[in-house]
Amino acid sequence: MADKYKHMGSLQINDEYIMGLGDADFAPADKEEKANFIAERKSISYWADAWRRLRKNTVAMVAAAVLILIFLFAFVGPVIVPYSYDEFNAGAENLHPWHYSLEDQARLAEATQALDPDEAVEQARAEAEKAGKKLTPIEEAKIRAKAKASGQITDEEGNVLSGDELNAYMIKKLGIKAKLGGYSNKELERMANGEKVFPHLFGTDRNGRDLMVRTMVGTRVSMIVGVFAALLVLIIGAVYGSISGYCGGKVDAVMQRIVEVIYSIPEVLVILLISMVMNETLKGFVNENRGNVLAELVNLLGSNLIGMFIAFGLLYWVTMSRIIRGQIIQLKEQEYVTAARALGASGGRIIKRHLLPNCMGQIVVTTCLQIPSAIFLESFLSFLGVGVSAPLASLGSMASDALGGLYTYPYRLFFPAIILSVMILSFNLFGDGLRDALDPRLKK
Amino acid sequence: MAKYVVKRVLMALLTILLVACITFFLMHAIPGNPWLSDKSPSPEVIAALNAKHGLDKPLHIQLGIYLKNLLHLDMGTSIKMQKNYPVINIIKEMFPVSAKIGIIALLWAVAVGVPLGCIAAYNRGKPVDSVLRIVCTVGISMPSFVTATLLLFTLCGGLAQVFPTMFDGSWQSYVLPCFSLGFYPMCYISRQSRAAMLDAINQEYIKTARAKGLKTNKIIFKHALRNALIPVITYLGPQVAFTLSGGFVVEKVFNIPGLGRYFVQAIPNRDYPVIMGTTIFLATFIVLMNLVVDLLYKLVDPRINLAKGGK
Repeated sequence: MADKYKHMGSLQINDEYIMGLGDADFAPADKEEKANFIAERKSISYWADAWRRLRKNTVAMVAAAVLILIFLFAFVGPVIVPYSYDEFNAGAENLHPWHYSLEDQARLAEATQALDPDEAVEQARAEAEKAGKKLTPIEEAKIRAKAKASGQITDEEGNVLSGDELNAYMIKKLGIKAKLGGYSNKELERMANGEKVFPHLFGTDRNGRDLMVRTMVGTRVSMIVGVFAALLVLIIGAVYGSISGYCGGKVDAVMQRIVEVIYSIPEVLVILLISMVMNETLKGFVNENRGNVLAELVNLLGSNLIGMFIAFGLLYWVTMSRIIRGQIIQLKEQEYVTAARALGASGGRIIKRHLLPNCMGQIVVTTCLQIPSAIFLESFLSFLGVGVSAPLASLGSMASDALGGLYTYPYRLFFPAIILSVMILSFNLFGDGLRDALDPRLKK
Repeated sequence: MAKYVVKRVLMALLTILLVACITFFLMHAIPGNPWLSDKSPSPEVIAALNAKHGLDKPLHIQLGIYLKNLLHLDMGTSIKMQKNYPVINIIKEMFPVSAKIGIIALLWAVAVGVPLGCIAAYNRGKPVDSVLRIVCTVGISMPSFVTATLLLFTLCGGLAQVFPTMFDGSWQSYVLPCFSLGFYPMCYISRQSRAAMLDAINQEYIKTARAKGLKTNKIIFKHALRNALIPVITYLGPQVAFTLSGGFVVEKVFNIPGLGRYFVQAIPNRDYPVIMGTTIFLATFIVLMNLVVDLLYKLVDPRINLAKGGK
């Protein structure tokens, strides 16, 4: 049989092909053949399509994985670690995230005991020999005089050492190696007796509180604040923005003037004040109404956290409401809205059933990008001492506490600071990925 | 234009008044009074102190008196932190320090951020672009206190002693605060200008310029950059506010005697006149800056007709 088309790639049908067709070619298609014609592909919904795009975005998926890890660290971690964030572990104050075994400590203590002058000279001479040098009598006399004068130990260059310097010098000299995890001496003894003791992996603060648990709890506070504040902003912004956009006219004009005024208020100044006021007021409320369900609820959540939510909710919904208003104004001219109105649907129903679901992509993206900014603000307030109050920890307040002993215990700053930055970074990257997936037009 | 300016100025005044009222009522809503932390005085003493400072009158009358005095630039005197010292003098002494750091920080943020954004946009997709994007994304994920404390630790004695630990007013002690305060805005501005520049490069008039045979440098600087700068200017207004609030943190970390640190200390101290004075001053400053930037925006791009409600 001849080819169907005149030549490769042509759409013109070959004459010979048509002449060669027989009766069988004109028979009606049977069921099987018909079934083959229908494409076996499901139509892809908006969300499935977005999910497919998001899955392809490696950066966003890695960010999501990091967020899940941080989530586990914050919510499952405190269950596993046997310490609590406000528990004072007596005898375990100011631990480093590393420790020296009991034997090493004994050796260190012996070595740092002041030597008597003759021994000091002996030791210096032995060291000099090892290095292939010989001490002059003058140097020997110097060392002897120094050791005699203060009972202190000197290094190779004859400098008198004491305190931390001496310890560091001796640790190096004796070749003592630090071991991972902070343990107090008491805990080391208990371990020697066969007990199992959980290490203080991040060390402890000056009250003996385990810093790892505090970091976990702080991360939890930040995450909760971020997510709930974003949801609060979403609800207020969506309601306000959709009413303003849908009604239009005078209502819109008045509502937008209000938005403009709130928008131009320097929010950080006011938020500092609001969270301070709310914190104190709610504390008073809890103390006066012991046993009241509402008061107990406030107490459970922490008055400071609620204060922060209120402050955030009062001022930050403005951006969200503007975005949603813009979307609604675009959408309300669509035919399906006119149709719904012609069928007698009320304004509330049109907004709820037709308009909001259609700007869902925008809403989800804006909410997701609101989370890091809420975390930012929370840590900022806590760092200034206005956020969560003691004994509850937050990453910001931990960083603030670490400022005092920054040079001795720098990791007290590093751990919370790094977790905070990684968390905000991941939220930002994931939010960006979500934006690209949900609204490809916005991609830059 | 004139109508627009008048409208904006009125709006700004309204905002400042609103902030003053909010601050006033919020401040008095904080339970407790300024005298509590002194050796717990008796009720009679408290009443006498309240009467002396006019705190015994009803709140709305107190507010009225305060606003009337404010019109004469009288912000009262501090009642706790620096007793009987006029608030306006406190502001006069402390604001220049904060302003200096803020201005230098913003200047370097713009001076470095915009060129970096242009470089990234011009080398789109190349390694330079990727490196800059990573740096900037990390930069906008680090709160200023993290940047500031990490710098303090690494360069002020922890690892190396490059800058003085204590703030003493010398130029060296300004370096780190200005750097850490400007880092976040720098990253943000560079991202913004990259996006704006990419947008500008793809416009028709750039094609025309290229078709005319203009040199690349001239196209970039004369045609693309000018238009790309407009979105960056809009961003500067809110950035002033952000830099000020970032200043609170940086002043705390580096122990700088600035207005931000003083404001934060005044709240728990319940020093009412100081809280009022500093809030109103900072708010006025921010609102004015926003106003200036908005008007500037109009000047830079004559196509924008703000009087008719935006672009």
